Amino acid sequence: MNGDNKQNTPWLCDKCKKELVQKKVKVRYLGGNFEVELTKCPECNMVFVSEELAMGKMLEVEKELEDK
Amino acid sequence: MDLDKLLETSDICIYDEPPACTSCCPVHMDVIAFITEIEKGEFDKAYKVMEKRIPFARIIGSICDHPCEKVCVRSDSGGTVKISELEKAAVRYGYAPPKKAIPIPKKKGRVAVIGGGISGMTAAFDLDKKGYQVVMYEKSDRLGGKIWNYEGGLKKEVIEEEIQALMNKGIKVELNRFIDKKGLEGLIGEYDAVYLGTGQWEEELQIHPETFQVGNTSVFAGGKLSNKSCSVIFSASSGRRAAISIDRYIGKISMNASREREGSFETPLKYETEGIQPVEAVRKASDIYSKDESVREAGRCLKCRCRKCIESCSHLTHFNISPKSYMRQINQSERIILGTHYANKMINSCTMCRLCKEECFKDISMKDVIQETRESMVKRGKMPVSAHDFALKDMKFSNSKHFSMVRKQPGKAEYLFYPGCQLPASYPEYIGEIYKYLVSKINGNVGIYLGCCGAPADWAGRQDLMQENAEIIKETWEDTGKPVFILACSSCCSIFEKHLPEISFVSLWEIFAQYGLPHNNKVSPKHSLSVHDACATRHNKKIHDSIREIAVLSGYEIQELKYSKERTKCCGYGGLVYYANREQSADFVKHRIEESNNDLLVYCAMCKDLLVDAGKRTFHILDLIFAEDMESVALRKMPTLSERHRNRAQLKIRLLREIWGEEPDMELEKQMDFRMIIPEKVKQLMEDRYILMEDIEKVIDNAKKNKERFFNPQEKSYLARLRLDNVTYWVEYEEKDEDILVKSVYSHRMEIVEE
Ligand code: SF4
Ligand code: SF4
Ligand code: SF4
Ligand SMILES: [Zn+2]
Repeated sequence: MNGDNKQNTPWLCDKCKKELVQKKVKVRYLGGNFEVELTKCPECNMVFVSEELAMGKMLEVEKELEDK
Repeated sequence: MDLDKLLETSDICIYDEPPACTSCCPVHMDVIAFITEIEKGEFDKAYKVMEKRIPFARIIGSICDHPCEKVCVRSDSGGTVKISELEKAAVRYGYAPPKKAIPIPKKKGRVAVIGGGISGMTAAFDLDKKGYQVVMYEKSDRLGGKIWNYEGGLKKEVIEEEIQALMNKGIKVELNRFIDKKGLEGLIGEYDAVYLGTGQWEEELQIHPETFQVGNTSVFAGGKLSNKSCSVIFSASSGRRAAISIDRYIGKISMNASREREGSFETPLKYETEGIQPVEAVRKASDIYSKDESVREAGRCLKCRCRKCIESCSHLTHFNISPKSYMRQINQSERIILGTHYANKMINSCTMCRLCKEECFKDISMKDVIQETRESMVKRGKMPVSAHDFALKDMKFSNSKHFSMVRKQPGKAEYLFYPGCQLPASYPEYIGEIYKYLVSKINGNVGIYLGCCGAPADWAGRQDLMQENAEIIKETWEDTGKPVFILACSSCCSIFEKHLPEISFVSLWEIFAQYGLPHNNKVSPKHSLSVHDACATRHNKKIHDSIREIAVLSGYEIQELKYSKERTKCCGYGGLVYYANREQSADFVKHRIEESNNDLLVYCAMCKDLLVDAGKRTFHILDLIFAEDMESVALRKMPTLSERHRNRAQLKIRLLREIWGEEPDMELEKQMDFRMIIPEKVKQLMEDRYILMEDIEKVIDNAKKNKERFFNPQEKSYLARLRLDNVTYWVEYEEKDEDILVKSVYSHRMEIVEE
């Protein structure tokens, strides 16, 4: 799931007014835990998920896990 | 889930059973494969199909007495398919000499074959192939026996060539050797087994009809000795079956195990003959069918195979699967512990309409199988959450304070009008009118009860939720004085029958039919409608009749569809397929629409919505009763998922105010302090992604209050997220003065840990 979030995102954290950074983030689904590189606010940790990622790779992995 | 029972049911399915012709053929020639090749003009391949089963196919194919034709299903629709004539044609146009087989070592034992006719030749040929050393004894000076007597189609050279081929295999042939009873004694001592195919014998023999063993000796007898007839194909078959017995006898394996389907048998296959157009058999212009004549005659074959349920069901058609293999796949899926459950999507694409059972000769109900499977998946934690999540949340909404309520006149209620959840979502404006009608017509205390019967839970295999829901309904029923429920939704009817048998109910349509329509002054043009019956009540004749009565009372004429009443089809909503597999759902609608050009008449809100959404002019029975302008409702667009929520919520508020003069709880009318502008494009995304207006509002409300959002300075837009229950919703929006312009919405189920 890595890589879909663009490094040079125009988005800023509105609360902290910080530029977003790439970081390993924990993701959970159906009892499974894994780590992925995503973009987030370095201050408040709010994680950014693009539409492309959510409706693409993420959805695909969700469906795969659901059929396990 | 009881998998043994499942496999037993799968065994009952006759999909894989051979057609009558093949099962009757003593050597079980694959007639359909054979005829299919001929139809394509591939005579060489057709001959290859014959060769697989028919010994000395070039000889027998020309002279077979074809018992198969007597049982051909085509016989009553223009005459039996001329299988034997087609075999002659395949021999003539498709014969090619067999490839040289690699000789295998003959180490399994020695067998004597007495008699060189067709049964002996077949036994010798098969035993040689199985690895036995075979010696043939023939009293005359050539093999072949009676086949030399055939005239016409069968040429002398062909017989000679085939016999030569047999001898070339290394089978030893002793000609001019007459074996009598005494000679046989000698051979018994010399060989591991003896096959007797002499046509006549000095004494009566005790031949076992299935194994062809004589008593319990090492002698096996076939041909005319066992068949008592001159049939060439039965002779060949007996030689073949005796060879199997000899192999088992020498190998000391059970003589009887699994041999039920050897020789001619009656197939369990049933084939629907209704509607078959008669076609006369093709006449041959000369002594044998020309290629062209063969192709045409082959075209008359019905390729008998039971596909009755598949043909009528869009789901089985979509997955191109027979219930037989469907059940086997479920069996496999149920046994997977680690690995992917590939059948999940299919299992969640059955509308559980039970048409298959109506169609099936064997009463197999995939609906029951799927119901059990889904329940088992839920129990084992293997049901994909996303398949039914939205529908289950919708049910929860309907049973929450936002919609659910019970009101009655003072005292014990005699009737409780229960419109269900989807009808009020699609037709909020009719509910109050119906209630007033009921109160005015029925003598007695009539109350109203809003909520969802639990059908979504039942379909999703969630028996926990289903039971919980049924309990609540039951309590309400007891609390209100055990009234008769008046049901307007067919799914409610079937849920009540299944889970609340103690509650008696009457369908709203029966009441309309019985008490008459509220304003009967409407004159409609002579207009004919076709009823698309609801699949959930396919066996409720009272409902079927009432609907037709109401239509006639309203001035319409009914033209029945091929699939109606107990054989009706599902619109594609049932079983929650609409949520689990939209493509599959669309198939159902499409097939249903293609059935007739007439406008349709339905009595389930979801049927109407799905049919209209696909462009079919469809009336709900309530349109006939209440609508002012029929043209405007014929194609009235279905409300969005968000509107369905709002319609229900507002109906409750309206009923409380207008009928009971109550001021609803403030909570119910709570409004956000911003207004949203949602472009059409985004509305469509919301439908496709199952995102509701109320979800979006919550995301934006949280973003505004807590600044939990991203900001794009170039576009001046915001992107906010909020996790609601098990889904994270994302909304991209712009603030335009006081308004919110929604630019996009999406969601994911994975949970992201923000730390
Ligand atoms: S013609 Fe004879 S060999 Fe051919 S299918 Fe019929 S019975 Fe079998
Ligand atoms: S119609 Fe064709 S498949 Fe059916 S019994 Fe006749 S030959 Fe066999
Ligand atoms: S229950 Fe309905 S959808 Fe399911 S297999 Fe049977 S006919 Fe098809
Ligand atoms: Zn921040």
